Amino acid sequence: MLKVSGLTTGYGKIQILRGIDLEVPKGEIVALLGGNGTGKSTLLKALSGLLPVWDGTIEFNGQPIHGLPPHTIVRAGLTQVTQGKDSYPAMTVEENLKLGAYTRSDKAGIADDLDRVYEYFPRLLERRKQLSATLSGGEVQMLVIGRGLMASPKLLMLDEPSAALAPKIVMEIFSIINRIRKSGISILVVEQNVRMALLLAGYGYIIRDGVILIEGKARDMINDPDVKNSFLGGTVANTSRDIKA
Amino acid sequence: MGFDYSSLFAFILFGLTIGVVYGIVALGISLIYSGLDIVHFAHGEIYMFGAFFGLVFSNQWGLPYPVAFVLAMLCAAVLGMIIERVFYRRLTKGGGGYTVAGMGMIICGFGMSIVLMNIAFLIWGAGAEPFHVDLGMPFQIGDITLPKSYALTAVFAVTLMTVLHYFLKRTKIGLAIRAVAANKDIAYLMGINVPLMISLIFGLACGLAAGAGVLIGPMQSVQVEMGYLMLMKAFAAAVVGGFGSLPGAIAGGILVGITENLGAAYISPNHKDIYAFLLLILVLMFKPSGLFGVVARVKA
Repeated sequence: MLKVSGLTTGYGKIQILRGIDLEVPKGEIVALLGGNGTGKSTLLKALSGLLPVWDGTIEFNGQPIHGLPPHTIVRAGLTQVTQGKDSYPAMTVEENLKLGAYTRSDKAGIADDLDRVYEYFPRLLERRKQLSATLSGGEVQMLVIGRGLMASPKLLMLDEPSAALAPKIVMEIFSIINRIRKSGISILVVEQNVRMALLLAGYGYIIRDGVILIEGKARDMINDPDVKNSFLGGTVANTSRDIKA
Repeated sequence: MGFDYSSLFAFILFGLTIGVVYGIVALGISLIYSGLDIVHFAHGEIYMFGAFFGLVFSNQWGLPYPVAFVLAMLCAAVLGMIIERVFYRRLTKGGGGYTVAGMGMIICGFGMSIVLMNIAFLIWGAGAEPFHVDLGMPFQIGDITLPKSYALTAVFAVTLMTVLHYFLKRTKIGLAIRAVAANKDIAYLMGINVPLMISLIFGLACGLAAGAGVLIGPMQSVQVEMGYLMLMKAFAAAVVGGFGSLPGAIAGGILVGITENLGAAYISPNHKDIYAFLLLILVLMFKPSGLFGVVARVKA
């Protein structure tokens, strides 16, 4: 469904990604893991078209999408959900959701999807007329995921859906993400919460310093002693450098 | 001799009317600030062009005033979109606000203002052109005589704001414009064609300025240098109301209009134009984010 090969990019003259190869198969959840400043969000920005691709290719549904403007990429069915703080605080919950469906004109389909989002996240229904500035952190995260769904994507890219949330809320959101996958939408989830993400995903990539360090089936990765030591048990900070050794 | 309340009321009414017009121009400046991250210093000249367009359509071509009003707005919107596309787009690509490109943008705005003024000078000359609109006898409300041009301005301004409010709040494009103004990256991720929306925002803002020009025209007169003072007043209105806030721009405009009319009436009519800036200084001293600004937004 999504195939990235040899992708390099960065900000200005500073290179961040140094050749990323990554694949998201149809109907799967793929986790992209790594600490702060490893290039996770940069990769998402490049995939969405917010950052120019320096080199390499991005194929979506067999079509090259690198170099296309972001709004065209959304129309192709690749939607990025940013972190919760990126809702539109001065708009109501429902306005935010309607904005998610901006590219669509099928009124009935939009209404169905709105119902579906409210079914996934009943709390958004309760607060639909409220400004999203008044929502709690977990609710805003639900809102941005719901807003992403409103675009009726084929592939949803989630940027740290667990960031700064209480474990109970994280569980709730992750179980919804799983339900979204079951409804037929492929998912690329970027996470720092390695254990949770590997429990959710079918396949995992660990990124560091702009390259993919480890990849594999999530089931295998969770039992991999290297991953265990570097990402699941000890501190992430200074151990992962030794993984390959 | 008691205090003359009816003339106080009249001054406030005049201030309110003129203030709404300041507010309309300020609204455009605010829209451009949120949408493009720039302060548009040539906005006064767009207002001046709008007034001349209205004058040509109404007095030379003999079109009815409302038609001239709408047509002038459309022409200015197109003019603005061309200016944005050809000149500003290259600079805003590098970022606005406090970036180096943002600084270049400010200078480009000043340059554009001089260029537009000179173009207008070549076409229409330097003299003050009277803008005739035959509206009939003034209204009589109690003791107050209200010229019809003021009443007309109030009606047009309120209509314009209602339409704009409906457009921004209820239509899909309005929603997209608000989204682009609030956060461009997220707007892109919603599938919004951001450069197109920025063009629309600029065109809308220029159309509003032109509308204001056509409203002010019959009250004063139309001349090449009229834009400068309007820019200053509208800028003051936008800052007083809270830069970037749309209802704030209107409220700020009304406040500036009333302040300068009361100042001219009760303090000194010779210094009519300084009261707006006194208000501006006071607001900046005590509430720098503006009266209606929720937070002081620092755009980077």
